[in-house]
Amino acid sequence: MNVPDPRSGLPGLLARPYRFLRLEWTSDLALLRVRTCVTPIQCFSLAGIAEMQRVLDDISLNPGLVRHLVVSSDVTGVFNFGGDLSLFSLLVRAQDAESLRLYGRKCIDMVWWLETAAQRGVHTTVLVQGDTLGGGLESVMPFHKVIFERSAQAGFPEVLFNLFPGMGAWHYTIRKAGFAVANDMILSGKLYTAEQLYRRSLVDLVVDDGRGEAALDHVIRSIDPRLRGTLVALQGQRLAAPITYESLAATVDLWAQAALSLTTRDLRLMERLARAQVRKAGGADEGALHEIKRIELDTAWGEERTGITEWTALS
Amino acid sequence: MGDFFMSLVERTDQARRDFETHPVALGAVAHGLSVERYRRLLLELHQIVWHFNPICAAAASRMPDSHRELRYFLYRHMAEESGHEQWVENDLEAIGVSELRVRAYRPLVDTLALIGYNHWSADRRNPCSVLGMMYVLEVIASVYGGAFATAVSESLFLVGDRGVSFIGSHATLDAEHMAELRKILGTIEDVEAHDAIVESALVNFEFVTRIFAAI
Repeated sequence: MNVPDPRSGLPGLLARPYRFLRLEWTSDLALLRVRTCVTPIQCFSLAGIAEMQRVLDDISLNPGLVRHLVVSSDVTGVFNFGGDLSLFSLLVRAQDAESLRLYGRKCIDMVWWLETAAQRGVHTTVLVQGDTLGGGLESVMPFHKVIFERSAQAGFPEVLFNLFPGMGAWHYTIRKAGFAVANDMILSGKLYTAEQLYRRSLVDLVVDDGRGEAALDHVIRSIDPRLRGTLVALQGQRLAAPITYESLAATVDLWAQAALSLTTRDLRLMERLARAQVRKAGGADEGALHEIKRIELDTAWGEERTGITEWTALS
Repeated sequence: MGDFFMSLVERTDQARRDFETHPVALGAVAHGLSVERYRRLLLELHQIVWHFNPICAAAASRMPDSHRELRYFLYRHMAEESGHEQWVENDLEAIGVSELRVRAYRPLVDTLALIGYNHWSADRRNPCSVLGMMYVLEVIASVYGGAFATAVSESLFLVGDRGVSFIGSHATLDAEHMAELRKILGTIEDVEAHDAIVESALVNFEFVTRIFAAI
């Protein structure tokens, strides 16, 4: 198979085969649209991270090619569930701090690219049309413009299983909303509506459901004519309230160390959350599924009542 | 990245995700299984558990002297796992499957292929491949086993660990095994052994996924 040269401009950037991303190009705006689709559980899997980082690296290898980067989710009702909880669970059980740290570093490498995007001449916008939790919300916050559809909800649930969001949550919540809001959000584990996040300055624009695409188009087209000035201003903004890679990395180290001390109870809670994600990803109505289970169970009991005797152990 | 354990995790991560996100596995973890499908799953699992120690023994018998600690690791593991097929039989009995039916059961082709591969790989190729099998079984037990046992227990209204003792207890036991496995994997330095372990893990994830799909 011919692998496209990533430095060969647009054809190289768009021709790469992706499993979890869908790329679109709008030439008049030099806009690269990345739609994420880590189905059925939209989260930061290792492969998903690798693909996203490849896109970001390709943009860096072609300076001046992309003026606008826009990210959204292709999965209905979910922007991103955050970290790969099964992978965390595996690494915690293996007591593998180094691998947890390396996973965290991969995440903050993406965060850092977004943090320094203006220096690369790229304006970044994210459209959130569904739930985004933990690392999913962290991944949203470094974007220059954050647009939420009204029904989208977000939060940092990590504290519920004795952990904290370690890939930029503190840095970006403090920068955008201040210490009090950061404390409240990260230490409570509560979920917030799009409107509540807007009131806390973590979201720039809330639009009605189904209006996200139109809002996106409006925002990009209003920024594009004054892009150079906007990007310089955003660099200045980041100088005024600096976040360093070293500080992000130190937080990842602390997070990895904290993850090692999770107890079986904490891991079980994490697994319950993972189960809830799975149910949500299934998209089916819970009530109906419960009913199907009842019918299946009735059928099973019925078999036993009609003469199959192995069931006695349950009696 | 990091030591061999992380490399193994990375190189097999998509296979793990493919297992985790297979509709049957997703459904089982989220909502449990019907009693008939759970019976079929345990019957297949019984075969895998029953052949686990012979496969480990084949690997141990061919393990070179340079991997002395690895051979001891396998001995310890075999001693721990010895008799665990009885736990599966107890669970089967609790959900209405007699010992007679367990003995007479003919496994799925996918299960035969999985066991056959593990035997062949340990006995004819690289004995270190057995660690790929162990990795997959321990990932599935420790990462998914607890949630799966809870879901099955809830969906079938089982009381306590009745009917889910094997899966439930291995979720805890294998959590400790995982840390031990990481340590022992860290002692293996030859690339051929690494490749054999990765291949074995990929094959095991693939066939366990197929078994879930087939039940």
